[in-house]
Amino acid sequence: MTRLIIEIVVLAGLALAGVMIALGANAYVVQLLFSTALAVTLAVGWNLIGGMAGYVSFGQVAFFGLGAYAGALAMLTWALPWPLAIVLAASLAALLAWPLGRIMLRLSGIFFALGMFGLARVAQIIVNALAITGGPMGTSIPTAEGPAATAMAMVALATGAVALTMAISRARFGLRLAALRDDAIAAAAAGVDTSRVKVMAFCASAGLAAAAGALYARNVGYIDPASGFAGTIELQTVLMVLAGGIGTVWGPVLGGVLISLLSTVLWARFPTEQQIILGALTLVLAIAMPGGLASIPPLSLWLRRPPLGVFKPTAFTPTAMEKAPAAVAVNGESAVLACRGLGKRFGGVVAVAGVDLAVAPGEILAVIGPNGAGKSTLFDMLSAFSAPSSGEIRFRGAPRGTMPPHLLARAGLARTFQTSRLFPRLTVFETVLLAATSHHPRWRDAEQATSALLVATDLVGDAERFPDALPPGRQRLLEIARALALAPAVLLLDEAMAGMTVAEIARVQAVLRAAAGRGTAIIAIEHVLPAIAPLAMRALVLDNGQTIAEGAPDAVLADPVVIEAYLGVDAMALAS
Amino acid sequence: MASIIALVILGLLWGGVYLLMAEGLNLIYGVMKVVNLAHGDLIVFGGLLGYSLFAHAGFTPIAALLPVALVLGALGAVVQWGILERIPLVGADGELRTLLATFGLSYVVSNTSFLLWGGQFQSIPFLQGALRLGPIAIPEGLLACSLAAFIAALLVDFWLHRTLAGKALRATAQSPLGAASCGLEIRRIRIIAFALGTAMAGGAGALVIALVPFQISSGGDLTVQSFTLIALGGLGNYLGAWIAAEILGLAEVLSQYYLGPDIASAIIYLLFIAVLLFRPQGLLGRLGRV
Repeated sequence: MTRLIIEIVVLAGLALAGVMIALGANAYVVQLLFSTALAVTLAVGWNLIGGMAGYVSFGQVAFFGLGAYAGALAMLTWALPWPLAIVLAASLAALLAWPLGRIMLRLSGIFFALGMFGLARVAQIIVNALAITGGPMGTSIPTAEGPAATAMAMVALATGAVALTMAISRARFGLRLAALRDDAIAAAAAGVDTSRVKVMAFCASAGLAAAAGALYARNVGYIDPASGFAGTIELQTVLMVLAGGIGTVWGPVLGGVLISLLSTVLWARFPTEQQIILGALTLVLAIAMPGGLASIPPLSLWLRRPPLGVFKPTAFTPTAMEKAPAAVAVNGESAVLACRGLGKRFGGVVAVAGVDLAVAPGEILAVIGPNGAGKSTLFDMLSAFSAPSSGEIRFRGAPRGTMPPHLLARAGLARTFQTSRLFPRLTVFETVLLAATSHHPRWRDAEQATSALLVATDLVGDAERFPDALPPGRQRLLEIARALALAPAVLLLDEAMAGMTVAEIARVQAVLRAAAGRGTAIIAIEHVLPAIAPLAMRALVLDNGQTIAEGAPDAVLADPVVIEAYLGVDAMALAS
Repeated sequence: MASIIALVILGLLWGGVYLLMAEGLNLIYGVMKVVNLAHGDLIVFGGLLGYSLFAHAGFTPIAALLPVALVLGALGAVVQWGILERIPLVGADGELRTLLATFGLSYVVSNTSFLLWGGQFQSIPFLQGALRLGPIAIPEGLLACSLAAFIAALLVDFWLHRTLAGKALRATAQSPLGAASCGLEIRRIRIIAFALGTAMAGGAGALVIALVPFQISSGGDLTVQSFTLIALGGLGNYLGAWIAAEILGLAEVLSQYYLGPDIASAIIYLLFIAVLLFRPQGLLGRLGRV
């Protein structure tokens, strides 16, 4: 809480200083203030998509140019007052960014970065060819009534931008962004609508860049394609975020101020070598200091993301844990999850060939089988991470159809992964909280459920630690806690107990028994049976994508077909 | 009819130049899984270097090909040794950092070109005549440059597939760990690959400047063009890159002729985005990788 107060005081102080400079200083200093605030706005806006969401873009300048032109045209053709024109430009860009983001954000990494670069070029070509924008010659706009008004507006915009990221970093949305950036698949499994979250970040980023562009055009009184879509703006924005600290709240502010002042000096002393210097700086930072200034102590301590969620020690009685929704009758069907004839082929390879399976609420089913038997592929289909080639899946009494994984997770089907997928930048508490917020609309309820789960899984002592600091067994435990935070009707565990100590296995068994007692159906894949045998009520053995045995665990283990699948025919002959 | 045939021939010839342009990027991507964002700026740098060789020493573009390639190759070796080798390539952070580093590098290269050669469009007058085949006229300059590009691309391909050094490089592309455990010095191979890639960029630049005038701001366009090509062909896939180069050559020539230069340059980007969205695995998928 104190951290928030300090941040608010700092931000208010900066804004106040800005206003006083705008009102009192000479025209040169006011222009300097304008360009610094502009830089901060652009950096904070870029950081939303490039840093916090993890989608680096080399084309956010497209929205800057779009905003500049939209604002200019709104002032010229409709004679709108300039503050209104700026709001209009920002809204237009944010609106346009929605469909654009839905398309472009299906790309990632270099593809998204270059795709955005291409989009910015297309925008520039279009503006260059249109008559209404003045073509290559550009457009003049009636200039401002002195620089003080636009400088103050720019300071207000920058302040708003920083306040926005401050709020995001403390909210559910920020938690989801961080999870998305770390591991999109695990985020979806925790119930996060990843495409919605990243598109929202993209829209906010576009709106900020456009508002900055519109104000820029107003301040200069002139806009042409070369200045509206300038590569230098993109380079400088990326450099500011990189220098300050990519993905942090205050890094872009720091980088924005420093780099924009530096560029002013460069512009005056080395007008033609500017890009070499800025480019080389980007290079050196990418090599030597990728975390930027925010990664250097003591700044790293002050600027790191504030951990979210508060442990609620009063709420850890088991009764406080959610009763699984599966316990109620499911359309008269006894199975909560069932599949019939489920198959998957990859090209010519048949991974799963017609598997039938059903689990009832509260039942624990073990799925075992040798390497390559198709166990994980089966799970991927059940949890909607891959589409079946054939067969039908019924969930809670109705055909599941095609459904995005995050919706299925929210509907009560949780899973873990064969190799742990945790979020390196989320604490243990936040990891579980993320999934809990998918189930509980109220933040406080999510915190309580998280606290209860951490007690049950014995992770309370690790609540503030990051997953990398945990031994492998506890990482698995954390993944199970995250899955249970969805209060699932069905829990799919993919070799959850691999690499665990005896004590940890006992802990997991207790947690699973409790979950099953509350009505959660559990399907557990294990490579070998002993870890799950004491719990399992039924076992299903897969080999070569087919069910070769099913029944009580002891009976299944004694089945010669099963022994043959694991040990081969020779071993059978040897044994007899 | 004759004009369409002429356009198609032009397009196919342009494909050769595009192939050389993109193959360098492809080689670097294949070995290091790094997309060098300065690629286009290096092409421009090579082209302007060729222009200087022509203006001061009378080199034709074909004659300039080798010296320009050598200079750019040396430059590439320095970049790999001094910059990219310093960034560990593990995880999402590695990719992000190489992206940002080569993004910065692209501005360093283009601004250096600007300081050396200024911002004007430059071109080399070369073989201005045309070869007549009945009603069809083929510009001799394009024919010569296209042939040179094809030969250069073929030579590199031959080197990659038939020599031990080339095989070592391909092995590194397929599995750096496997190659290292066979006793190959990965660091050296990466430097060779990057140098070869930038040498091809330079060589392509020396040829292209004889065909279309260009200036320092063309770099970003050329990077995207080259990247489109290898994305269309499938990253790290040579046969695919060649087919993609021909498609791009045809698309470029035909759209220039029928739609005008403005729309033609936008079409490259739209094609690029469409390829990424609908055919991310490339034309041929996994067939014929490095």
